[in-house]
Amino acid sequence: MRVRAQMFAGILALAALLGGRAGAADSAVDAPAPPRPAASPKSTGAPLPTPADLATILAAVRAPGARAVLVNLWATWCDPCREEMPDLIRFYRAHRAEGLRLVLVSADDPESQKDVARFLAEAGADGAQAFIKTGDDMAFINGLDARWSGALPASFLYDRRGEQRQFWPGRVTLPDLEAALAQIAAPPKGGPHHETKGHP
Amino acid sequence: MSFAALILATTLASAGPLSIGAPAPSGATKMKSALDGKSVSIAEVAGKAGTLVVFTCNHCPFARGWERRIADLGNAYAKKGIGVILINANDPAKYPEDGYAEMQARAKTLGLQVPYVIDDTSNVARAFGASVTPEAFLFDKNGKLAYHGTVDDNHTDPAKVTKRYLADALEAVVAGKPPAVAETKGIGCGIKFR
Repeated sequence: MRVRAQMFAGILALAALLGGRAGAADSAVDAPAPPRPAASPKSTGAPLPTPADLATILAAVRAPGARAVLVNLWATWCDPCREEMPDLIRFYRAHRAEGLRLVLVSADDPESQKDVARFLAEAGADGAQAFIKTGDDMAFINGLDARWSGALPASFLYDRRGEQRQFWPGRVTLPDLEAALAQIAAPPKGGPHHETKGHP
Repeated sequence: MSFAALILATTLASAGPLSIGAPAPSGATKMKSALDGKSVSIAEVAGKAGTLVVFTCNHCPFARGWERRIADLGNAYAKKGIGVILINANDPAKYPEDGYAEMQARAKTLGLQVPYVIDDTSNVARAFGASVTPEAFLFDKNGKLAYHGTVDDNHTDPAKVTKRYLADALEAVVAGKPPAVAETKGIGCGIKFR
């Protein structure tokens, strides 16, 4: 099931787009499977986390060309954050070719850059953008979403226009992610035509 | 399935914390203190000048970063008429470090003079809408929430603090005034609810 979900991600997304029961979400209800890295789980393509303030991170989120952007706030010392990371990466790999971007924002101290980089390399976060948050906590939290308490982990899904479409306080699940992405893919107000998927 | 997930996410997101001006919920709930093993409620510790409730724990790096400042503020303002209670709502089954013996050790190390209690159902934290450790709720002398939020703006280094949110709020409440800043936020660990 997992294999099919990945192989036919485009078809599943299209099924969701057409308003049927989200096949992608259903497939994701399966028992957790180990990450299926496209290449090597410890490749050298892992992102280098860079210290960044809110404006820099939001600019990365809103950079054009994405179908959707998943932003995750995490930390190396945060158990539920580490536990959900394989699902985030699995989701990213399944939809990366359709234009999904993954932005991982660590709340670790900037001095922990090596630890953050090591974790992301071992998690196989190749292709994701990685930052270490700097600046005032409260401005950062409210700048992302005033509903967020600041508790880790937290995830946010943005659409191609850079508008936030979903907020998950706490740990997020694959079905949640798949359902939210399917919503973003759907035409506005249930119109008869749907947008062209993906970007060049 | 997907629709239900969306509804659930929306519900979780909109279930916010106690509003400024609200009274303390779960006031009568007895909770066991790591200082002396006796059970105490928020109503019982309420002070004449106000009441400070802090949800915290042992394991979280943010709670650890602020624990000395929380203990010092609690001990100091307990002498100024503020009733103080520190509450650990985390499930020790998930984090053994948040168990009772560890709470006793932290209380001793920090020289705590105010109760550090177990919310053994996590329902007090739920009633407050608390979600993060540490998270402070300060009630004024009339029992109304006057301040909610974090301790200050630097959990790692007290010398680099520029905004003493909780200390300033405590000072205002002791003086019978509303805090200049009533609500703040800080990044922290999610409460590990039972």
